[in-house]
This record gives sequence, C-alpha cells and structure tokens, in this order.
Amino acid sequence: MNGGPAITVRGLHKYFGRLHVLRGIDLVVGRGEVLVLIGPSGSGKSTLLRCIDFLEEYDQGEIWLGRDLVGYRRNAAGRLVRDRDAAVSRVRARMGMVFQSFNLFPHKTVLENVIEGPVIVKGQKRDEAIPPAKALLDRVGLSDKLHAYPTQLSGGQQQRAAIARALAMQPEAMLFDEPTSSLDPELVGEVLEVMRGLAADGMTMIVATHEMGFAQEIADRVMMIDHGMIVESGRPEQIFGAPAQERTAEFLRRVRH
Amino acid sequence: MGYNWYFQIVWDYREVFFRGAEVTAELTIGALAISLSLGLALGLCRSSRVGFVRWPAALYVELFRSTPILVQLVWIYYALPILSGVQMGNVLSAAVGIGLHSAAYVAEIFRAGIKSIERGQMDAAKSIGMRYSAAMRRIILPQAVRRMIPPFINEFATLIKLTTLGSVLAVNELLHESENLINNTYRPLEVYTALAIVFAVIIFPFIYLSQRLERYWRVRG
Ligand SMILES: Nc1ncnc2c1ncn2[C@@H]1O[C@H](COP(=O)(O)OP(=O)(O)OP(=O)(O)O)[C@@H](O)[C@H]1O
Ligand SMILES: [Mg+2]
Repeated sequence: MNGGPAITVRGLHKYFGRLHVLRGIDLVVGRGEVLVLIGPSGSGKSTLLRCIDFLEEYDQGEIWLGRDLVGYRRNAAGRLVRDRDAAVSRVRARMGMVFQSFNLFPHKTVLENVIEGPVIVKGQKRDEAIPPAKALLDRVGLSDKLHAYPTQLSGGQQQRAAIARALAMQPEAMLFDEPTSSLDPELVGEVLEVMRGLAADGMTMIVATHEMGFAQEIADRVMMIDHGMIVESGRPEQIFGAPAQERTAEFLRRVRH
Repeated sequence: MGYNWYFQIVWDYREVFFRGAEVTAELTIGALAISLSLGLALGLCRSSRVGFVRWPAALYVELFRSTPILVQLVWIYYALPILSGVQMGNVLSAAVGIGLHSAAYVAEIFRAGIKSIERGQMDAAKSIGMRYSAAMRRIILPQAVRRMIPPFINEFATLIKLTTLGSVLAVNELLHESENLINNTYRPLEVYTALAIVFAVIIFPFIYLSQRLERYWRVRG
C-alpha cells in the first residue's frame, strides 16, 4: 500500500431523473482517517456513500479508491466508460459497506454470511475461511451465534454480524450508512463500541450518522452536507463547538434541540 | 329430477378413462417441461438490466397473455405448419401450445418472485464484491424460489386443466375420450360428472398444498 489517500472524490454529481441529488462533492479521505458525514435528511449522505461503493452510478466527476477509478475506466480515446461487472466487483470487494437495515442474507447463518465473501469472491476454501470468520465474530461479540439465522438475532446483533461480514473481505475502507438508525436505543451502544474498536485499529472509515455525540467522539473530521453540497468540514471540536456556517449551527441546534 | 343415474357405465368403461388419463399425463408433462424451462428463461430476461434482453421477453409475455389459448392452439396446429413447413402431431402441438402459453405466466411468477426480494440484498451482495450473476444465483434466487413455489403449484394445477383443450385438436386426453364415450353410450351426465370428479381429485391436493405452503412461509418469513 502506498501513502496516498484512501478515497478521493472529485466534482461528483448525481441525478435521480431530474432530481439533482449530489451537486459537486469533493473530498479526500486519508488512510486511517475517520470522516463523519452529518446533515439533514435527504441531503445526500446515503447517495454519496452508495456512489463511492458504486451501488449507484454517478453522472459526473470521479471517485478513486487508492489509485483505482471506481466504476469507470478510460477507453483508448481517453473517455470515461462504464467498467465491466468483473472490474467493478473487484473494486467493491476492497470496500466494506454497512447499511442502515443490516441486509444480512436471511437464508444463511451468521457464519455463512461472513464466509460468503471470502469463499465466493476470493475463492477461499470453506475450511480456510471459517477460522478467520470465527475470529471476527468473536471480535464483534457473536461467538455464541455462529449458527443462528439473522431473524433469530436482535437488531444490534444483526448489525454486528453485518460489520463482521464486511470485515471478512479485509477491506481498505469501511462505509457506514447510519448503522444505528434502525436500532432500539439500548442496542446502539454495542454497535458503536465495535466501530470505536475499528477506528482505534486504524481502519479508514466514512460514517453517515445522526448520533452527534458519537460523531464528535470518533471523527477525525466532520463534514456537513446539505442539498447535495458540502457546507463545511473540519475537526469535530470546531464543527460542533464553533461552526463557521450558519446552516451548520442551525442544523446542530435542531438535532440537539 | 326424474333422471335415473347410471354410474355403472363409468365403471364399465374405466379403461377409456385410464387411456385418457395417460394422454392427459403426457400432455401435462410435455407442457410443463416447456413451460418451466422457457418460463424461467423469460423471467430471468424480464428481470435483466439490459433493454434488448428485457423487451423481447416482455413482448412474448404480453402477446401470450393477451390472446386466447384456444386461438394459440389452433394457430400452432393449423397455421404454423403452413408458414414453417413443420407439421407436429396433434399431441405435440397441444403440448407445445399449452407449454408456450403457460410459460408466459411462469415468467411472470418468476419475475415477481425476484422483484419481491428487497433491493438491500443485491446491494449487500455487491458490496462484498459479488458479481451480478453470483449474487443472483446465491443470494436472490434461493430466497425468491421459496416465494415462487406456491404460485408455481397453482400454475401447475391450471396447466392440468388446460390440457382438456387438447380435445379441439382431437388429442385423446380425458375430455376427448369422454366425449367419444358419450357418443357410444348416450350417457353425458354420468360421464361428464365422473370427469369433473376425476379432475377435482387430481387437482385439489395441489391447490391445498399451495395454500398451506403460502401460509406456512408467511408465518416463518
Ligand atoms: N433511488 C432513488 N430514486 C430517486 N430518488 C432518490 C433515490 N434515493 C434517494 N433519492 C433522493 O435523493 C435525495 C438524497 O437522499 P439520501 O438518501 O442520499 O439522503 P440522506 O442524506 O441519506 O438522508 P437520510 O438522513 O434521511 O438518510 C433525497 O431527496 C431522496 O429522496
Ligand atoms: Mg441516508
């Protein structure tokens, strides 16, 4: 691995039909950095994360994972064209994504969920994939749930399993899209605890969240997004303590009420 | 209600029913093979992200759903040979016709099943680096197939009933054999009643099974 940034986004625009959802996003995430995205509902945080993982095609701009363009490649004439499915998947495999609604595979046990990527994508043997998967599940506190099905778990357990599933691919970066928003309040802590551990281990992370306390605690940098544009970004103590933009201050007043 | 029922006649001519049932079974199996294989292919095509894969399949489905199956059958039996020079026998024509017709419905069941899986499943599969084909095969289809089984069984029951249309092509399935029998015995009430009962006895268990499965899986998610 080189010393360059982990993720680079340049001049990103995204439309849903005529709706202009991302209007020129530029950001650079360094290796090991934790970037937290905040902003009102509908501001484009999820869309930005989904574009980075190329779950949404973007209309303009560039997204780089390390030195590799995400989703597109340059053809002989130097124009950007949609990359082949195989190439897109290879880039995606290097990023982990955690969703608000967990999205575990309901027909597979927790352990099967976690080894699915290593076995199917990386081509490891089941026997090879199981020990590290168990270690990961141990790390997120699910050693006793290896053979449970997702429906048999609490929301917090499901989300921790989903994090383990993403980590099993040994990603260069993790993307979190409101990982605790659909959890009962008493289950939020256990998921945040796992994320804290990841950050401490130097994982590169982009986290969209409405948990302002957690954002302040875990972030190296906080970025305020509104109407598909970056309002401001800075150290958490600056954004939360002395926001430069009135829109940020107003948003924070509203969420803290 | 002064009619004197004489069901003995049905028993006396039971051979005729067995013969007819055999042909009905042949028709069913032949049509089912076509219906399932073509229906699955069409359903996958209709779920494709690629327009020129999706459109022909959509056209097929709409065409076969918006014309009467009787017209399709006689068209395949009488018109197709003139156009193509290939004359299939009446049994094969009926099996192909019913199969092609049913395939349109199987395709819809298949597409609806795939569509019923939340988009987050494909997202999650992609996010760990799975390709579209692997995600379909390992994540989407295994979940979708379970939801498709009850409507599939229903469609199978419908298909068995449709085989009676083979009679218009003079295929000696149950209905046609029954009509022949009536011509000899002048006992339409007994024969048609027996025929209806035979079909009900064959088909009811499938419909029952389909309903039970649907309820079972609704409860278990
Ligand atoms: N698949 C889609 N089709 C059409 N519009 C969409 C789609 N996904 C999102 N949008 C729209 O894009 C805008 C940005 O949505 P996005 O989900 O990115 O916001 P968000 O910042 O994540 O909001 P929240 O905090 O509620 O999660 C919204 O106006 C939303 O309605
Ligand atoms: Mg969102």
